[in-house]
Amino acid sequence: MAAIAAERYTGASVKRSEDPRILTGAGRYVDDIKLPGMLHAAFVRSPMAHARVVSVDVSAARALPGVVAVFTGAELEEITVPGPDALMALIGLDGPTPEFTLLATDKVRFAGDPVAIVIAESRYLAEDGCELVEVEYDDLPPVTNASFALDPSSPPLFANLGDNIASPHSRSESGDVAATFAEADRVFDFRIDVHRHQNVPMEGRGCVASYDADRDFMTVHAATQSVHVSKIAVAMRLGMEQDKVRVVAGDIGGSFGLKIGASREELAAAAASRALRRPVKWVEDRGENLTASGQAREESFDVRAAVSNDGDLLGLDVKMVIDTGSYPGLGVTVPETVEAMLPGPYKLAALGFESTAAITNKATYVAYRGPWASETFVRERILDLIAKDLGLDPLEIRLRNVAPRTDPPAVMITGRPLVGVTSRESLQRIAELVDIPAFRRRQAEARAQGHYLGIGMATFIEAAPGPREPGGPSGPLGTESMRLRLEEDGIVALFTGQMPHGQSHQTTLAQIAADEFGVPFEQVRVVVGDTDVVPFGLTGGSRSATMTGGVTLHGARKLKAKVLDFASHLMEASVRDLEIVDGRVGVRGDPASAIAVGEVARRAASGQFGPDVDANLEVEAAFDGGEGGWSGGTHCAIVEVDVETGLVSVERYVVAEDCGALINPAVVDGQIRGGVAQGIGAVLLERTAYDEDGNCQSATFMDYLVPTACDVPRIEIEHLQTVPLDADVNFRGVGEGGMIVAPPTMVNAIEDALSPFGVRIYEQHLPPARILELIAAADPGQ
Amino acid sequence: MKLPHVDYEAPRTVTEAVELLAEHEDEASVLAGGQSLIPLLALRLAHPAVLIDINGVTELSGVSATNGTVTIGAMTREYVAEESGTVADAVPLLAAALPLIGHEAIRNRGTIGGSLAHADPAAELPAVARALDAEFVVRGRAGERVIPAAKWFEGYLTTSRAPDELLVEVRFPAAGRGTGSSFDEVARRHGDFAIVGLATSLTLSGGAISDARLAFAGVSDVPVRATEAEDLLVGERPSAELFDEAARRATSDIDPPADLHGSADYRRKVAAALVRRGLRAAADSADERQ
Amino acid sequence: MVDIALTVNGTARTGSPEARKTLADFLRDDLNMTGTHLGCEHGVCGACTVIVDGRAVRSCLMLAVQAAGSEVTTIEGLAPDGGLGTLQQAMWDSHSFQCGFCTPGMVMQATAFLSDHPGASEQQIREALSGNICRCTGYQSIVDGVLLAVERSASPDPAAPHSASPDPTTPPNRER
Repeated sequence: MAAIAAERYTGASVKRSEDPRILTGAGRYVDDIKLPGMLHAAFVRSPMAHARVVSVDVSAARALPGVVAVFTGAELEEITVPGPDALMALIGLDGPTPEFTLLATDKVRFAGDPVAIVIAESRYLAEDGCELVEVEYDDLPPVTNASFALDPSSPPLFANLGDNIASPHSRSESGDVAATFAEADRVFDFRIDVHRHQNVPMEGRGCVASYDADRDFMTVHAATQSVHVSKIAVAMRLGMEQDKVRVVAGDIGGSFGLKIGASREELAAAAASRALRRPVKWVEDRGENLTASGQAREESFDVRAAVSNDGDLLGLDVKMVIDTGSYPGLGVTVPETVEAMLPGPYKLAALGFESTAAITNKATYVAYRGPWASETFVRERILDLIAKDLGLDPLEIRLRNVAPRTDPPAVMITGRPLVGVTSRESLQRIAELVDIPAFRRRQAEARAQGHYLGIGMATFIEAAPGPREPGGPSGPLGTESMRLRLEEDGIVALFTGQMPHGQSHQTTLAQIAADEFGVPFEQVRVVVGDTDVVPFGLTGGSRSATMTGGVTLHGARKLKAKVLDFASHLMEASVRDLEIVDGRVGVRGDPASAIAVGEVARRAASGQFGPDVDANLEVEAAFDGGEGGWSGGTHCAIVEVDVETGLVSVERYVVAEDCGALINPAVVDGQIRGGVAQGIGAVLLERTAYDEDGNCQSATFMDYLVPTACDVPRIEIEHLQTVPLDADVNFRGVGEGGMIVAPPTMVNAIEDALSPFGVRIYEQHLPPARILELIAAADPGQ
Repeated sequence: MKLPHVDYEAPRTVTEAVELLAEHEDEASVLAGGQSLIPLLALRLAHPAVLIDINGVTELSGVSATNGTVTIGAMTREYVAEESGTVADAVPLLAAALPLIGHEAIRNRGTIGGSLAHADPAAELPAVARALDAEFVVRGRAGERVIPAAKWFEGYLTTSRAPDELLVEVRFPAAGRGTGSSFDEVARRHGDFAIVGLATSLTLSGGAISDARLAFAGVSDVPVRATEAEDLLVGERPSAELFDEAARRATSDIDPPADLHGSADYRRKVAAALVRRGLRAAADSADERQ
Repeated sequence: MVDIALTVNGTARTGSPEARKTLADFLRDDLNMTGTHLGCEHGVCGACTVIVDGRAVRSCLMLAVQAAGSEVTTIEGLAPDGGLGTLQQAMWDSHSFQCGFCTPGMVMQATAFLSDHPGASEQQIREALSGNICRCTGYQSIVDGVLLAVERSASPDPAAPHSASPDPTTPPNRER
C-alpha cells in the first residue's frame, strides 16, 4: 500500500483510461448516437462559387417518400434569429461585419455554400431528396484570389460591406523601424507564400439536435472543443434562453481547431429539430468536410529584413495578406497574433507590420492548429535565405540571433517577456543529437553519386499559455475554472470545461488530482462534455497543460484541505496530524485510524453534523495560469530528394523541445508527433486547391492527400530541463508546436538538399512536380 | 456520401449475367470487386439503374495455365492472383504490378477483370495487359469473342466491350526463358494511383534484346505502348546509353494530362526516368531468368 | 430490400437492407454496432475496415447484400467477454491512440495483417497500415503497439501486464 501511495503519477506515462473503450469500439461519437424518432439531414449545396440565387424549387424533394421536410434559406430565416456568427460576436471585432443568412438565400458565396436542408428518415433518403431540389443560379464573376479581392473592381461578396476586405488595413510599428533599416548593412526583400490547407480530423463536423417541445428545451449532442461556446451559439441563433439549451459531447474524433462554436449547418439542424419537434442528426461527409467545413493558412508576406553583415537580424517590415474565404471566421484575428509572434525568441529590434484580410469565394478560414504558424515559417525561412546569402551556417545564424536568457528576461519588441525561454539550449541540444559535420561529409559524398540529401532546422516558441501578464491571466480565454467533489463512492470527481478530442485529459488531469489529493489514479473521474454540469471552458490554444493542470493541482489541494477539515471533526483529530494516502484519511503514523475517503464522504452526506461543520465536500477552483510560460524548441530534419521524380523522403527527424514539466510523457510525445506529421503533410502532400472558377479540386481523399504511416518517420524527441517559473505549475502546452515548426524545418531541409542547383524556396507546398520546376528554374551559380 | 437507389440483380451463371446485360444495356453496371464502382456511386458520379452483382458467378474465378497461356477468370480477386505461384512463374510482370495496386484491403475485394473492365488509364493492370498483348474474352448475346488488348482500351474508362457483353476471362502469354519484368511507378504515397507508371518486359537472347515491351499508365486516357522505343531496343545489347535513348523516344510524343498531382511536363520527365529505371530492372531480372 | 443472413462476431444475424446500403452502414445502423467508423466513404481512409471471411475489407466499399453468407468480424468482436486481445493490450500499453476515430479500422487492419505475418518488421507494418489514415498520432505509437504485439505473440511472458478486462473502476465517460 505504502509503495503505491509513494509512486507519483505526474510525470509518468500512465496508461490512458480512455483506451479500453477506444480499443474495443465502445467509444461514443456523435454519429453513433441514435435517439427515438431521430431524422437525418443533408444539405443542398451550391455548385457555383459566386452566384445570385434566382429560385429554389423544393417541391419534388418534399414529395419524395421518406423526406419529412425541406427548409430553404428563406424559411430558416423565419425560424431563427438573424445575426453574426456567435464565435465572432464573442470575440468582438471592430468594424462592420458581413451580413448574411444562416443558409444562403439571395446569393451563394463559395462552391459548397448550403442553400437548403433536407430532413428525411435516413441519410440515404435525405441525399436522394437533395438531388431533387432545383436551384436556379445567376453566375457572378468569382473572386478566387486575394489580389482580385483587394481590387476595388471585384464584385463584393457581401452587399453591406461594399468591398472584399474583411478587416480594415492596419499598420503598426514596434521599435524604430526607419532608423533600423537606414542603419542596416543589408536590406533583403522576400515574398513568402503559404498555401491553403486544412484541419481534416478523421471525424467531420456533426451534431444531433433534439428539441423537447413539452419543455421548450433543446439538447444538442455535439462534436466540439467547447460545449459552452456551442451552447451560446445555439441559444443565440434559436433565440432561446441559455438555460433552455444543453450541449453534451462524448468522444470526439479530432478537431484541430475546426469544431468551435456551431457551424451554419449545425444551427440549421437545430432549427429544423425545433420546427419538427424531433431529433435531427447531421454528420458531414468527407466531401463536405474538405469543401465546406473551413480551410486555413493561405497567407502571403512581403518581407523586408534589415540585417548586419555578420548576420544580425535587426528589423523586419512585413506586409501580410490573408485569404479569409467567404463567411466570417477566425481568419481576421490571425494577423495580429502573427505580428505579436514574429520576433520569436530573437533579438529583433524593430518590427513594422501591416495586414489586410481579403474575402474570397472559398470556404471560410478557420482556426487550424497554431493559426498564427506562418510567423514561424516566414522567420525561419528567411533566416536560412539570409544565412545562405551571407555565407553563414543555419545553426550559427540562429545562435547569433537568439536572445540570451537574462534576468529580468529579454522582452520581444512586440511586448512579451521571453521568460524561461530555452531556444538557445534547444539549438545546442540539436547540435549534440545530430552530428552535423558528419552529415555534411555524407552529403558531399552522396552528391558525388547523384543523391541529394539535405538538413534543415527551425526554432519556435509558442505561448502555451504565455508568460504572466501584469494584472491578468496568462494567455487568452481568461482564467480556468474547475469544480471538484469527493463523491460518496470515494471517487474524486473533476468537472472541467475542457473538451478533450485526443488530448487525453481524462488521464492527465486524473494523474495530477490523484497525486495532490492522495487517491489511486483509478479513483479520479474527469467529467467533461455537459453544459449542465461543467464550468465554462474550451480546449484549444495549447492552454490545458498549464491552465487546467494548474486548476486541477490547486483545486485538488483545496478539496483535500476541505476534506481534512471535515475529517478532523469526524475523527476528532487535528488537521495537522491527518493525511490522505492511497484513498484513506488517517492520523499520520497510525494506520489503524485510516478511513476510506468514500466513507468520509458518506458520513459528510449523512447530515449528522451541525451547521458549524462544513460537510459539503465540494470546491470551486480558478487558476489564472500562475507564472505561465512559453513552450518551444528546435526541430531538425534530414531528407533525401529524388531529383528525377521530385519525391522527398524524410530520413531522420529530431526534436529538442521544452514544455516545462511533463504530466504524461507519452501523451506529450504523441501531441508533438501528430503535429509534426501535419507539418510534413502540409509541405509534401496537402493543398486545398480551387480552380479559376472557384471549384474546389481537392474534394476527396484522392486529391487532398494526408500523410500515411509510410510518410512520417520515427520522430526522436528530447525534452529539455526547463527553468521552473512557478512554485507548483510548470506544465506547459505542446498541442500546436509540432505543426507550427515542422513546415519550415522541412522546407529548410529540402532547400539544403537542392542547393547544388541554386534552388531558393519562398513557398511552403512542395509536391514532386513543384520540386522539379524549382530545379529547372534555378540558377546553379547562386 | 450515400449511394443512390439502384435495382439489384445477383446472377449465378454467366448466361444469366449476359441476359441481364442484354436486357438493361447501358442502364446497368456490373459489380465485381466494387473497389472502383462503389466510390463512384457513393460520390453520386454514376447513377446506373441496375447493379448486376457477379460475385456469385463462381465459374468466373480461377487461374490456370495451358500451353504458354495463363488464363485468369474475370472474378479472380487481385490477392488470389498475387498469391498465385502460376502467376509468379509465368506472368512475372503481372506479379510485379499486383502489390502496387492500392492497399491489401482493396486487393482482397478487387478483381482482375473488374480493374481491366473499369480501364482507369492510371491503374497498373491496364498497362500490364497492354504490354503483354493480353486477350480479353467476352461473352454476349451473340456468343463469345476474343479482343486483343490493343483494341480493348478505347478511351477514358471506356472499353470495346458491348453493353450486352460480360468480360469472362483474360489471357496472358506465359513469359519465356530470358524474360525479365519490372513495374515501376511514381505515386504521391505508397498505394496511391500512379502519377505515371510503366510496365516493362525485356527478353534477352544471347545477350541481346529479342523482345521489348513498354506500356505506360497515366500518360493518356488509355495505357500507351511506347512502340518507337521498343523498336529501338530490339536487337541491341542493354546499355545505359541505349536506355537513355529509349527513354527519349518513349516520351517524345506522349501528351500526358495535367492535374493537381502533376503538369504534363512533369509527367513527361517522370515517364523518361521510369523508362531508364524499368529497363535497367527488367534487364537485370532477365539475366536471372536465363 | 434484400433478405440476408450472415455471421457477425460469431453470432448469426439477419437483415433486410436496401441493395445500395453499404456493409458499413448495415453494421452501424441495422445491427447497432457503431464501432466501425466512417471516415471518408470512398475507400481511402480505412476507418471502416472489418474482416470478412478472414480478409480485411473496407466495409464502405462493400454492399451489405454482398456479405450474405459470410463471416464478419468487427472491432467489437475481436476480444470476447469485454477483455482485450494481445494486439489491443499492446496498443494500450504503447499509447497508440489519441482521438480514437481511426482506431477500429487500424486495429482490424493490423489484426488481419498479423495473422498472415506474425513476425512482421517495422517497415512491413508501416506498409500494411499505409491505407489507414490517422490524423492525431503521426503513426509511431501505433507502429510501436503492433511491434509490441509481435514481440509478445512470439514469446508470451506470463509476467507481462495483461488486463483480463478493462479496468472496472474507470467509469465510462457518458452523458447523464
